Amino acid sequence: MAEPLVARSAFRPHVAPLASPTGVAGVTLREAEGLTLASVAAFRGREAELADAVRAAYGIELPAGPKRVASGDVAFVGAGPGKWLAVSSGATDFAGLPAAVADQSDGRTVVRVSGPRARETLATLTAIDLHPRAFGVGDAALTHAASISIHLWQVVDAPTYEIAVFRTFAATFWRWMVEAAQSRGVEARHGG
Amino acid sequence: MSQPNRLASGGLIDRATPLAFTFDGRGYTGHPGDTLASALLANGVTLVGRSFKYHRPRGILTAGSEEPNALVELRTGARREPNVKATVAELYDGLEARSQNRFPSLSFDLLAVNQLASPVFVAGFYYKTFMWPAKLWEKLYEPLIRRAAGLGRAAEAADPDAYEKTTAHCDVLVIGGGPAGLSAALAAGRAGARVILADDDSVLGGRLLSDRLAVGEGSAAQWAASAAAELASLPDVTVLTRASVVGAYDGGVYGALERVSDHRATPLPHQPRQRFWRIVAKRCVLAAGALERPIPFGNNDTPGVMLAGAVRSYLNRFGVAPGKRAVVYANNDDAAKTVLDLTAAGCEIAAVVDASGDAPALAAAARSAGAPLIFGGAVVRAYGGQSVKGCAIADSRGRSFNVACDLVAVSGGWNPSIQIATHLGGRPVWDSPRSAFLPGSPPPGMDVAGAASGAFELAEAFAEGGRLGTEAAQECGYTAAPFDAPQTEPETDAVHGHGPWKPKTSRGKAFVDFQNDVTVKDVELAAREGFKSVEHLKRYTTLGMATDQGKTANVVGLALMAEITGRSIPDTGTTLTRPPFTPVAIGALGGAHRHKEFRPTRLPPSHFWAEEQGAAFVETGLWMRAAYFPRAGEADWLETTIREVNTVRTAVGVYDASTLGKIDVQGADAGVFLDRVYINGFSTMPVGKARYGVMLREDGFAMDDGTVARLSPTHYYVTTSTAHAAQAMRHLEYCRQWLWPELDVHLASITDQWAKYAIAGPRSRDVVTALVDDADVSDAGLPYLGVKEVTVGGGVKARLFRLSFSGEMAYELAVPARYGDATIRAIIAAGEPFGICPYGAEALAVMRIEKGHAAAAELNGTTTAFDLGLGGMMSKKKDYVGRVMAERGALTDPARPRLVGFKPVDRSARLRGGAHFIPREATPTADNDQGYMTSVAYSPSNGCWVGLGFLANGPERIGEIVRAVDPVRDGDVEVEVVAPVFVDPEGVRVRG
Repeated sequence: MAEPLVARSAFRPHVAPLASPTGVAGVTLREAEGLTLASVAAFRGREAELADAVRAAYGIELPAGPKRVASGDVAFVGAGPGKWLAVSSGATDFAGLPAAVADQSDGRTVVRVSGPRARETLATLTAIDLHPRAFGVGDAALTHAASISIHLWQVVDAPTYEIAVFRTFAATFWRWMVEAAQSRGVEARHGG
Repeated sequence: MSQPNRLASGGLIDRATPLAFTFDGRGYTGHPGDTLASALLANGVTLVGRSFKYHRPRGILTAGSEEPNALVELRTGARREPNVKATVAELYDGLEARSQNRFPSLSFDLLAVNQLASPVFVAGFYYKTFMWPAKLWEKLYEPLIRRAAGLGRAAEAADPDAYEKTTAHCDVLVIGGGPAGLSAALAAGRAGARVILADDDSVLGGRLLSDRLAVGEGSAAQWAASAAAELASLPDVTVLTRASVVGAYDGGVYGALERVSDHRATPLPHQPRQRFWRIVAKRCVLAAGALERPIPFGNNDTPGVMLAGAVRSYLNRFGVAPGKRAVVYANNDDAAKTVLDLTAAGCEIAAVVDASGDAPALAAAARSAGAPLIFGGAVVRAYGGQSVKGCAIADSRGRSFNVACDLVAVSGGWNPSIQIATHLGGRPVWDSPRSAFLPGSPPPGMDVAGAASGAFELAEAFAEGGRLGTEAAQECGYTAAPFDAPQTEPETDAVHGHGPWKPKTSRGKAFVDFQNDVTVKDVELAAREGFKSVEHLKRYTTLGMATDQGKTANVVGLALMAEITGRSIPDTGTTLTRPPFTPVAIGALGGAHRHKEFRPTRLPPSHFWAEEQGAAFVETGLWMRAAYFPRAGEADWLETTIREVNTVRTAVGVYDASTLGKIDVQGADAGVFLDRVYINGFSTMPVGKARYGVMLREDGFAMDDGTVARLSPTHYYVTTSTAHAAQAMRHLEYCRQWLWPELDVHLASITDQWAKYAIAGPRSRDVVTALVDDADVSDAGLPYLGVKEVTVGGGVKARLFRLSFSGEMAYELAVPARYGDATIRAIIAAGEPFGICPYGAEALAVMRIEKGHAAAAELNGTTTAFDLGLGGMMSKKKDYVGRVMAERGALTDPARPRLVGFKPVDRSARLRGGAHFIPREATPTADNDQGYMTSVAYSPSNGCWVGLGFLANGPERIGEIVRAVDPVRDGDVEVEVVAPVFVDPEGVRVRG
């Protein structure tokens, strides 16, 4: 039998630089590791069955629209009509849900962005209004960061955002965030 | 003496801090708070540049971004920038500026002889003079004109600075930080609205900084400072200084350029030089103020002729006397302040010329200054050459006399800055009482306040700005209290003036557009030659077409044309302006996205390993793919590729196929859905099987191909080509959401989820056997076109496919992407005993050509399944997207160019993609064109070049010899038409 395979992050320092802290970090970037992600779409005519199953399994009321509802380790983030991105900070098997479920744990890399200048930094890449009056904890958006598709949601008021980006775009996204964050004081760490 | 023209006190400058700078290599000093223009004036430098066409000496006309004359080259080396307005360039220590458009020196310019030839250079001279012979235009005339008439030199090295783009949202955008803008921002900001206040100056205040006025308890400048401090304290108010709003766009979107670092020698670490803002605003208050207009007279471009308001700016804001003895020439009462301020600063007033003869405040100021008042008179002509030494003045009865002076302060009234209000096409409206264009129909959501709306008086500006700020906040749902405007001194309201537009003499050029050297005579000539429409006037004379967009020129030129043609100004019309209000560097529009970061780079899972192997990479769309893996001693890519192909065909190779698009298709109707989008059927394909499929566009042409595997009755796994992945996903989503919303089917892109390796070659099964944990991968356990779920590396879930693109026995192993790096290393380790090598996109391309598989070159949007030889796959039993259109007669005509293979008759000859097929004896003309070569490769298996291409009636012409003609590369090769399969035509090897 072959040797066990080692999991690797989408990042390596030479394509996703780790800017060294410069004074007070206005922006903190973290790769969120060890997440379980799945795209979940309700089968036609079986929407209520899925809602019941999610409620029973996770105590979560499936959100309608671009919202995130979390309970414990698990969250469901709206990803379009009848579609969600299921996120768990631990090992969770979403495949048992009565829905079209596709594992995305490796398909997306999630970057956590926080700090007093997080919003200002993100504004260099996305056109979404992230002002607290327009976007808060529980809000989500499928949008783009310059030319990269992203799925973004807010988890903490402070603010902290989580941004899911297609794995093969993650290094570019990271570079662009670091480029914008450097003038604002950045502290960045990832799993590469 | 240093800074001889600096006043002893006053101004918003830091006198304690000297800043050294050079102009044309000579050293001077100024202070923080100075612009380059104010510092030059403080040092007694009035000659700053040479004009565009006639190389006339030019000085400083204004104190703002409308400056047409004082354009300089700033900085050196890679940061050298031409046409920088000295009036907005902030002084920093070590600033280096050079005058431009002169040879050999500013004070002695040989090209000033252009003035002698000025009859040649009148309006339309391009059109008239350089007509014949036309062939000399590109080689002779244009370079000559460009060199003689150029303005400044761009840096030759790449721009070393960084730029940033950003988006901001607000309730109320206030454009301009003068009295109206500050009031609007305060009114809306105090109500709690999200406000952005953008001003192009480094300090808020606008005219409050330039005029000696009392506002509230203190000076106007003090009020501005306290307003700025209050705005800074409001959490939802963003103040952008050094930020010019340059355009209004649809949907409440505005563009603004922030000059983040232009006031420094070099940007601070990590800071952009400039930042381009895209501002999305629910409401906008345009409070951009007004720009003063000149009155034309002879030699009105002589250094020392300056707008009257600018004179006040230099006196009051910068503490600089632009002259010692001034003539003030105005048609309105606003210039009275200039007379009083000059007197207060200790300057002498040589004369006050009231052009209109009805300006009482101006008369009173002249009296208090003890200066002669020429009532209803005109300045006829300035004299002095490189600096004003005096001017000729005519009185109301036409008597002329000379007055010595070193400054002529001119005011022809004020033009509201309405440019941004016209960006969406709203026509300005002429207001006769104010003698100015006012905004007609501004963009939706925009109100105009203060001088920009014609409210020239300070009290009016405060009140109107405050009222519109309050209303804007209320429109956005905030409870806003009425704005309490500060107390102001009584002011004359007669700041408007009308003409005279035509000078009283023909001696000396009278300029209308200073930057483009357009004179009153040019406008008259345009009228005589029939170019009377404002649009024609503009294009024939180039009036208003310079980088200042005619900010000081347009209204004067228009009024002149009206007067010459005997029409009113509204009947003559006006031109609209387009963004940008002031020039924007392309770098700022690109922001951080330039060079390699222009677009994202996608790295497949084996990328880092491939880097370690020294692979050569090739860009494929956004992807970086390994092209080939050179080994020591190999001469070139071809040698490497041949080795890689031979290894696959004789032993085993591995290729990263992760770049293929992968789509997860689930739902009770998944099979039906796929039947409708592919020409062939999938609903009847057994679970555990995979099949090749082709999709058509709705017009019947082939769109993409790939494989479809069935994982369960309701679960399919679709792959697309790398090139068409996004297009295919978009098409499938369109079909699902729009064509057949009734189907129960769901799509998810899983391209990035799976790392996928093709393991190909006669020894591939040995390698795969060593890799999987415990699975039967024999021909019985996983036959050709089979798929099964397995585990590898001790429990990692994987999908294993028996698919082949190379034509050899092959497997595709898909693992979750996080294991992609480890898996390629494991495959190489497991394959070592069997002689495995990695192969890249080059070898892959060779092998697919050898097998006649279509790729992007063949699926090029102009070919059908029939052309591709896949007509037999087109199901007759079901309907599918593109079927009806694909059955059109012209698309099933056997004479269409159809896919066949080609070999050179001379087996040593090289083939070229893009060559066209011509019958042997025919002349190579378009009439004899019978198709074209799409893909070529050197085939190690055949020992010669082979090609794929589309040839009319191709499959019926196997064995025929035609010519492949490549006129671009002088190619003309005889080729034999063969079946498009060059290796293992029976397809035995894939079944292993």
